[in-house]
Amino acid sequence: MKIYIGIDDTDSLEFGATGQSANELRRIIKDKGWGEPEPVTRHQLLLHPDIPYTSHNSSMCFTVEMKEDNLKEFIDCAAEFLKETSAPGSDPGLCVAVNERIKDIDELMSFGFKAKVEILNKEEAYKTAEDCGIHLSEHGGTGQGVIGALAGIGLRMTGNDGRFQGRTKLKDTGESMGIGDIIATTEIEEVQSIDGHVLTDDEILIIGDKIKTVLLDGKRKLLVYRENDGWHTCNNQHIKNY
Amino acid sequence: MWSISDKGEREFTGGKEDWAAVAHIAENCPGFKPDDEDEMVADEAVSCYNCRYRRWTIKSFVCCK
Ligand code: SF4
Repeated sequence: MKIYIGIDDTDSLEFGATGQSANELRRIIKDKGWGEPEPVTRHQLLLHPDIPYTSHNSSMCFTVEMKEDNLKEFIDCAAEFLKETSAPGSDPGLCVAVNERIKDIDELMSFGFKAKVEILNKEEAYKTAEDCGIHLSEHGGTGQGVIGALAGIGLRMTGNDGRFQGRTKLKDTGESMGIGDIIATTEIEEVQSIDGHVLTDDEILIIGDKIKTVLLDGKRKLLVYRENDGWHTCNNQHIKNY
Repeated sequence: MWSISDKGEREFTGGKEDWAAVAHIAENCPGFKPDDEDEMVADEAVSCYNCRYRRWTIKSFVCCK
């Protein structure tokens, strides 16, 4: 069965990074033989002076196919991991949702979108998790991270939010690559311009520095822009709102 | 370049798109520490926008160092 794992608020100003915590959890799942986790997506939540986020107010989510038999052990293990490894002063939260058992997907996705534009509280997060029949727990500090952990799963489920963790290695900066080649040899599923034009396999792309991919239409996409009659990969500045 | 917020925090007045100014500040700042790669937004490696000690606000960021 497919499960979604969301975590938030495991870092502090000085220590840790929630993305690294998510990756550690993926490694544990692999090492225990519980599954082969999919890549992590990062979801930006609301930035507001009244939200006590520790550093970025972004949440991390990934999915994995896991057997029912391993689920409880995984949740216990993840809870212990967050408790033991999260940065001092952080407020970690963990959310685990079994795809086929989510009672109200619309409510879950709506919670995700709301966390991008509204100030939400823990009570709302726990109520939504209960309504949807999914696991939500806190593991230190104020436990405020439960809001982001739940929202991260809701946003990942929309298939239209966030960027993938890490960089994608293509060719060296300044070199060219065919779109068909990129799709055949990397995890990128589609190459699309910022204004929504999907490039065809025979088109050519000029590779830039620091390639990031985003989650759009349920796919891992590489965003590009047109300049001087050529397609170029977007840089950090172009995709900062994803 | 900086204003002091109600909470006494130092907020950058140039907003979130003044790439050259924050690169210049960070290059001359002994406190700069690169943030996690996933949280970097500037293409200049050394920039307040990529610093572990910047905390985003609605319009800009505060320096927590
Ligand atoms: S955010 Fe603060 S500590 Fe970081 S480089 Fe800018 S001024 Fe220095």
